[in-house]
Amino acid sequence: MTDPTVDPTLDELAATLADVDADGALQETAAAAFPGTRGAFLRRSLGTLAGITAGAVVAGEAAAAPVAATENDVAILRFDLVLEYLQAGLYTEAERIGALTPETLAWARVVGAHERAHVRALQDLLGRRTVPSPGFNYRDVTSDEDAFIKTAVAFEDLTAALLKWQAPRLDSRSIVAAAVTLHSVETRHAAWIRHLNGLSPVTSAFDKPASQERMARLIASTGFLTRRSRTALNARPRFTG
Amino acid sequence: MGESCGNDGATDLGSSAVRYSRHGLVRTGGALVAAGAVGSLFLVRAQPAGTAPSEALDREIFSFALQLEYLQAAFYAAAVGAGSLRGDVLEFAETVAEHEQAHVDFLRDALGASAPEAPEFDFGRAIRGERAFLDAAELLENTGVAAYNGQAANLTKPSLAAAAEIVSVEGRHAAWASALAGHDPAPRAADPGEPARAITATIRRTGFLR
Amino acid sequence: MRLALVAVLVAAAVAGAIVVVERDGSGAPASASRSGGIALARSAASLPPPAAPAFRVGKPRLIDGHETRARSAPVARRAVAFAEPGGRGQAVATVEPTTEEGSTNIVLVVGETTLGGGSWVRVRLPSLPNGRTGWVPRRALGGYAFVRTHLVVDRAHLTATLLRDDRAVFRAPIGIGVPAAPTPPGEFYVRVKLAGFDDPFYGPVAFGTSGRSAVLTDWPGGGYIGIHGTNAPELIPGRVSHGCVRLRNEDIVRLSRLMPVGTPVTIR
Repeated sequence: MTDPTVDPTLDELAATLADVDADGALQETAAAAFPGTRGAFLRRSLGTLAGITAGAVVAGEAAAAPVAATENDVAILRFDLVLEYLQAGLYTEAERIGALTPETLAWARVVGAHERAHVRALQDLLGRRTVPSPGFNYRDVTSDEDAFIKTAVAFEDLTAALLKWQAPRLDSRSIVAAAVTLHSVETRHAAWIRHLNGLSPVTSAFDKPASQERMARLIASTGFLTRRSRTALNARPRFTG
Repeated sequence: MGESCGNDGATDLGSSAVRYSRHGLVRTGGALVAAGAVGSLFLVRAQPAGTAPSEALDREIFSFALQLEYLQAAFYAAAVGAGSLRGDVLEFAETVAEHEQAHVDFLRDALGASAPEAPEFDFGRAIRGERAFLDAAELLENTGVAAYNGQAANLTKPSLAAAAEIVSVEGRHAAWASALAGHDPAPRAADPGEPARAITATIRRTGFLR
Repeated sequence: MRLALVAVLVAAAVAGAIVVVERDGSGAPASASRSGGIALARSAASLPPPAAPAFRVGKPRLIDGHETRARSAPVARRAVAFAEPGGRGQAVATVEPTTEEGSTNIVLVVGETTLGGGSWVRVRLPSLPNGRTGWVPRRALGGYAFVRTHLVVDRAHLTATLLRDDRAVFRAPIGIGVPAAPTPPGEFYVRVKLAGFDDPFYGPVAFGTSGRSAVLTDWPGGGYIGIHGTNAPELIPGRVSHGCVRLRNEDIVRLSRLMPVGTPVTIR
């Protein structure tokens, strides 16, 4: 991570996101991390509110008649999706580069497969309300064993804590029912990587929640979010022909 | 404020500030985040009528959970006491025994006078050898996760918050037991919840209960 | 009298006042009111079913077993590329964050090493002579992008073949450079994708590569070799261009759906 002792401010996160987020979708999502100052956050990052559009119907088994999801729930799910993009990307790159120890690579392979499945599930649920992945630069975290372990432990622990914070804040019980099925898997990931590295898999009888704001600060502190590359242009070629 | 997504029958429809039942079993200090407007976004399932969270239902759910925690607490305490565990596995049993007892204490406290008492258990060979112990521990922890995940959305918000703190630890226990047993600590991308009936059947099949 | 006492004891046992602790093979409860199994079942019966989840997570998504063919990265800040990692050897070239067209300048990453000072990566350079590589600090580059594709241009047979996971998924006839302005052989990569321009000479879509004409060195824009469509499809296949690889328009459109920027290009 760039500097774990620096606590990025709301301004820094807003600036980071304004820099990388072309269409405002990411800023809307990140604003959900700061519910009390959401309007201020969006003004800082110069984003515009995403329009409300009709979304996809959730597929699934027959139950009571479907009802509309709330903006609150959409914001929470979009935040989760960005977090899953980050983790899936981190573990995918680590596996592709293949420079970590066999044991850590085996962990990244299994856990990455889960995070990629989570990305797909959240994208499918959000439908037209989904957000695209930001660009990521993981620097040497995907090839340096110590940096990778530190980062993976931090993210798995904090993701589990985040999902605990979100669960009672979701309006939809059916989203709660789905979210808890992901939450317990994240706790397994956390315990597993701790166990592989001589850390205690569990440190307390009760695991505490952690807010979206706290997770947003962790994400900002990594410096992983980058501008997406512009490699497709509307421009006239000047090749030799 | 418009109607909620059918998630909480006790929501006060006239108040936009309180989005969860004040009548839950677990009390918290203040309101959680105020909900935003209901919009025509993607659609999610509403729940059938008659399953709305309430304090009475929280009690039933916590009562069920307490019985599972009694079983786990007794299992780990018995395993430690039987004296046949060593090293990493003993450390696991001792740590988890403390946690499960803490869960028992919490749930008993929440239920107060209506808390059920612990029944008797007989763990047989499951506490007398490392392999059998770890297999049983893995089963009990995974079953606990499935039980909590199955009832999570039936709880009021404050009780859900409390239950989440517990199931989180059960998930870690499960992965730890699996790792010690040489099994995959995270075999699935998601842990589905199961109905209480199925949980009961799994537990009764162990033979630990009379 | 004794019989009455036994009857009382039996009645008491049945009523649960005395717990008979006796385990049979099935673990069946010896006494109903102290039976944990029955208590659990009763408790379970009063609980509602789980709420139907809003979504289900599918199976874990493993990456294919295939190695990805290539890795590229954007240039994050101007950097000097050296002949050796560590920055002490001869300077080979300078890489800039943007190209002449204003696109992000990307480089193909073909090696890496870690020295005391940090990580260094070996990159394929879009400069002459063709095929040149150099070492830059990892921190000069942005995040990696991975591709599974590889374009092979065969100058003898006048074909372009796109491989994905080493399997051919596209093949088309091509036009290449006239002898006086040949298409250079070697290892290159796709740098940029251009569209929305209104120039039938290049067809509907064009790709810029890292390759450069060895003879047209004064060409405006640097003399880069492109892969593009044409307004003279009757010349394909043939040796007809100033170095670019030309495809018929329907073929370049098809290729543009299969070949991401960053794809390595081998010209044989």
